[in-house]
Amino acid sequence: MPRVEFRKRARVTVLALGIWLVAYGPARAGQAPGSQPAVGCITCHEGLADARLSAPAVDEPGDVHGARGFTCLVCHGGDGTSQDQARAHDRARGFRGKPAAAAVTEVCARCHSDAEFMRRYAPRQRVDQASEYATSVHGQQLARGDTKVATCVSCHGAHGIRMVSDAKSPVFPLNVSATCSRCHADAAHMAGYVLPDGSPLPTDQHELYERSVHYAALTKANDLSAPTCNDCHGNHGAAPPGVGAVVNVCGTCHAVFSSKFALSTHSQIFDRGCVECHSNHEVLQPSDAMLGTDEPALCITCHGEGDNGYEAARTMRSDIDRLKEAIDASVALVGRAANAGMEMSDEELSLREARNHLTLARTEVHTFDLPSVQKVIQEGFDVTASVDQAGQAALDELSFRRTGLAVSLGAILLVVVALALKIREVDRTYGVRS
Amino acid sequence: MLTERVINWLDERIDLTGIRHFIAEKTVPVHAHKVWYYMGGMTLFLLIVQVVTGILLLLYYRPSAEEAYESVQFIVSQVQFGWLIRNVHSWSANLLILVAFVHMFSTFFMRAYRKPREITWISGVLLLFLMMTFGFSGYLLPWNELAFFATKVGTGIAGAVPFVGDFLVRFLRGGDDVTGATLTRFYGLHVAVLPMVMTGLLMIHLLLVQRQGMSVPLGVERAVRNGQPLKQMPFFPNYVLRDVLAWYVGLALLAALALFYPWELGTKADAFAPVPAGIRPEWYFLAMFQALKLLPAHILGFEGEMLGVLGFSAAAGLLLFVPFLDRRASEGKANRLLTVAGVLAVVYLVVFTIYGYVAA
Repeated sequence: MPRVEFRKRARVTVLALGIWLVAYGPARAGQAPGSQPAVGCITCHEGLADARLSAPAVDEPGDVHGARGFTCLVCHGGDGTSQDQARAHDRARGFRGKPAAAAVTEVCARCHSDAEFMRRYAPRQRVDQASEYATSVHGQQLARGDTKVATCVSCHGAHGIRMVSDAKSPVFPLNVSATCSRCHADAAHMAGYVLPDGSPLPTDQHELYERSVHYAALTKANDLSAPTCNDCHGNHGAAPPGVGAVVNVCGTCHAVFSSKFALSTHSQIFDRGCVECHSNHEVLQPSDAMLGTDEPALCITCHGEGDNGYEAARTMRSDIDRLKEAIDASVALVGRAANAGMEMSDEELSLREARNHLTLARTEVHTFDLPSVQKVIQEGFDVTASVDQAGQAALDELSFRRTGLAVSLGAILLVVVALALKIREVDRTYGVRS
Repeated sequence: MLTERVINWLDERIDLTGIRHFIAEKTVPVHAHKVWYYMGGMTLFLLIVQVVTGILLLLYYRPSAEEAYESVQFIVSQVQFGWLIRNVHSWSANLLILVAFVHMFSTFFMRAYRKPREITWISGVLLLFLMMTFGFSGYLLPWNELAFFATKVGTGIAGAVPFVGDFLVRFLRGGDDVTGATLTRFYGLHVAVLPMVMTGLLMIHLLLVQRQGMSVPLGVERAVRNGQPLKQMPFFPNYVLRDVLAWYVGLALLAALALFYPWELGTKADAFAPVPAGIRPEWYFLAMFQALKLLPAHILGFEGEMLGVLGFSAAAGLLLFVPFLDRRASEGKANRLLTVAGVLAVVYLVVFTIYGYVAA
């Protein structure tokens, strides 16, 4: 083969190989662009006696970074190809070791705040976590030099980080309160932190939350939309909702209650909004007992006998109780008619409407406006009245049917007796014959 | 008397001598088992009730998936005495099949199918099958949840028939699944096709009964052959009056059941709703349904359900042609094997029906 021809063919081959490597090489190697192999790291670290140093060298299933080809070097730097510690841990080669608390956010943010980079892996993921974190109490404390506060790794872990949607992730909704409570329920860890009024920061939030209706919805009813810590406090920008913001925070889910409350005079008076009556972490199942003028009603905390609020609370409670009793009576009446075989499906449907009015009345209570509540309650009474009328008509009809049956059976009995007599007569006349 | 004048008027024109003679001469045998004769009359009475109440229901029933349930709801809640008509129709349908079964088994054990009554037997068995088909098709018509899913299961069983199973399922359902199309074809079957076929078969059955008279049990027949006289009573008026008395008792029972145990309408069928617990067919299919459920998935390499369906088809065939299988009966001799088979069939039907209810 002529030399020129050989060179030409060699160039074409090398070019093709180059294109193939560019196109398929990274994917085949399972590496993320920019990451370098960390064979050296693993070879040395997996043999170390100290578990803190050897554990990260072992591949952990579910590790979101490992699965995408990110190696030790992305966070720790250094020369991952070398098994010589001095060379591998050479600061001149970018080795930064275990990032200090103050540097963790910066290390994570190198990728997670890079919209262009993140688009290649998780295009829907937000890239403002670091800037949000800077606004959080954690971030602000960290900026003041407090290294006890939570950083990215405190919640997400350092190695073996899982997707938020992974049930094993510490930030999966079911695990969030336990993750936060690792620090916030630790009195020793939280010592020294204070509320704006100067009182010590409580450490019973998790304990209180576990008694709440929200925790029950999340863990017992498996409702992952039920709120946990981060739903009210934010996650990366975690901070207590400001006093004026509580209604907005609760209103993200309880929109109707929030809008009703916003119209009420209490919205101007209640410093802590919803929390005044419902508490914050220990939000218990609300009940009618919270309303009224008898213990354990909450209204009497502020209102005393003789004032308008006291009378309004007493009337609202008594109206709601009366509607409940009216619905119970209607249910019993319709049940009696239905059990006797009367077709009562329309009335059963109407009773749902009556129950809806009871619910609406309880919602309307958040306006703390008596006429508004009474209007809804009256609509409920109108429904129960029409149901009662239909129920009574059904029972009357049933009574008519029973009377009709008794008369019919009497008539049939007469015919049967007459037939029996006739049969005796014809038997005597025409008789059985052989 | 007006009746006499009308009869005389007719007699002058169409000569009623033959009918007069028939009425005067027709007798019914009197013996220890004569009570079973009333089952045929009671079946006929309940059938008449079905026809009358069915026609009245037709006045308001609307056969579509959108309106069927609501129309039945309207009948039982708004139409004057609609509740009575619907409940009597439902109760009468069930009693009809029960009485028809009793009639069939009493006829079987008395060997009434023997020569010369083979055609009467065959027409009777076919009428029983027709009544069950009436029940199956009528069950879906209120378009409630229980009936919807039971029909889905019931029609699905047809898929086990070899070679034509898929076609049968599609034919019964009017598509791949139970839909409004199934309802309309079940309606057509229930109010047009089945009544037409039944009218023809019933005419043949009744004509033969009148023409051939009542059969007597083998023991009575032997006694007559040995010279003992056969006691008889006149069909008219002695037997007819007894029949009418029984019908009145049946009517009273139907009215009481309709009032005190009204047929539940349930909730409207929803194809997207989860299958409710306790889905089962009407009681007269329950023994077969339960047996099919107990069969293993595969028997000797064949599908268990397919073998079950084939087995029941074979049993139905045997039942239909019993008169030709039991040669001894036509010679006036008892056939112990058939008696045992009959007893076993009754025990199976009773036990498996109860088992089906308990298991559900």
